[in-house]
Amino acid sequence: MSNSNSMSVTEKEQLSYEIKNLIIEKLKITHITADEVDNDAPLFGKDNPIGLDSIDAIEIVLALKEKYGVRLADQNLAREILVSVNTITGFLEKELKKE
Amino acid sequence: MKKVIDFEHRMAAHCETGTLTALLNYNGLEITEPLVFGIANGIFFGYLESSNFPFPTFIVRSRPGQIRENISKRLNIKLEKYWFKDPEKGEAKLDELINKGIPAAIQVDFFYMSYMPEWLRVNINVHFINIIGKKDNKYIISDSYHPRISELDKDVMRKARWAGGYMAPKGFLYYPVDVPENVDFKQPVIKGIKRACRNMLSIPVPFIGIKGIYKFADKIKEWPSLVRDTEHLSHEIMKINILLEDQGTGGAGFRFMYATFLQQAAGILQNEKLDDMSKRMMEIGDKWREISYFAAKIGKNRDLGKEKLNELSLLIKERGDEEKEFFKDLRKTV
Repeated sequence: MSNSNSMSVTEKEQLSYEIKNLIIEKLKITHITADEVDNDAPLFGKDNPIGLDSIDAIEIVLALKEKYGVRLADQNLAREILVSVNTITGFLEKELKKE
Repeated sequence: MKKVIDFEHRMAAHCETGTLTALLNYNGLEITEPLVFGIANGIFFGYLESSNFPFPTFIVRSRPGQIRENISKRLNIKLEKYWFKDPEKGEAKLDELINKGIPAAIQVDFFYMSYMPEWLRVNINVHFINIIGKKDNKYIISDSYHPRISELDKDVMRKARWAGGYMAPKGFLYYPVDVPENVDFKQPVIKGIKRACRNMLSIPVPFIGIKGIYKFADKIKEWPSLVRDTEHLSHEIMKINILLEDQGTGGAGFRFMYATFLQQAAGILQNEKLDDMSKRMMEIGDKWREISYFAAKIGKNRDLGKEKLNELSLLIKERGDEEKEFFKDLRKTV
């Protein structure tokens, strides 16, 4: 990560890739790789090959806390953030900047 | 009729505290949602078994309406409240308020809030929203669970306000009529904390407060004898996650919201110990969240043998032990 206030494009891409791998690893997804996940596609429902459900959402929230130390406390906020890999990246970028 | 009040819409963690906070902010009082929750001693636990419920359940906050009443009392805020048997009178009152430029909170059945995602919409009679205008036959709504200002057709709104069943809304509406300009939060914060400690530690009822958490831990082991089959048990076990995380709790059964309140209380009372208590409550919240996940997972996988339920029971008991020590220590800080 750079020392400037915002992440470079490469750093964001790295973070997105890291998030995809985290999701795949934590949810023990075997039918798809990180490269095949579209950063903009909805994580929940049929439009994304990952197709997560609400229980997976809690696991992702716990994994983000464990790996990055960020707490997604409120479920209304969580619904806005766990939309896609890109929305999670955006959230983490802001949170990590606070540290 | 075409009137929209200039009202700042904000999302909130919980509908009752979110609507009340927004109305107080609109009326000039600077207060946050966690502060409303904490001053009103919203934090709670109760394990409930009753012939009124199809299955035992638990609550993690004070009863609906209590937060509003406690805030009114402790901050000396006068609220005007109305219930209407007759929908026409109830609608006329709401329209009159809109015409006068007064936003009001109303109680509705959440199921009818058609602007929310369909998968979220369930029949819950104690959802609160703010009405901030009307355009022709559509009410303009500030719903703290929705990211934007929304609209709802008048006929649908009537169904939502006069839905039947348990805790029916009965056309309830309220709005502040007298909000003090300057409020010293110190005493209300202390009262809220003391009352929360009392509720969690000292109410002599075996299913309320910490005793309620222990009761829940014990009784969950008996749930297999109360269900029709594994599907039913799975459904009830997965509901633990819904009650802790998915019903506007701010996460971990309101424990995160209470932790934020304690952090703000530390600033108001200039009491560093409350900062430490806030951190402790956050950690307790993290562990409640692990219970949510554990319950959701064993429920989903139908992995509901005696061993797993004993494990779940132990996790709940541990939260009881931690909260017991927590509230004992919290009582000493104010």
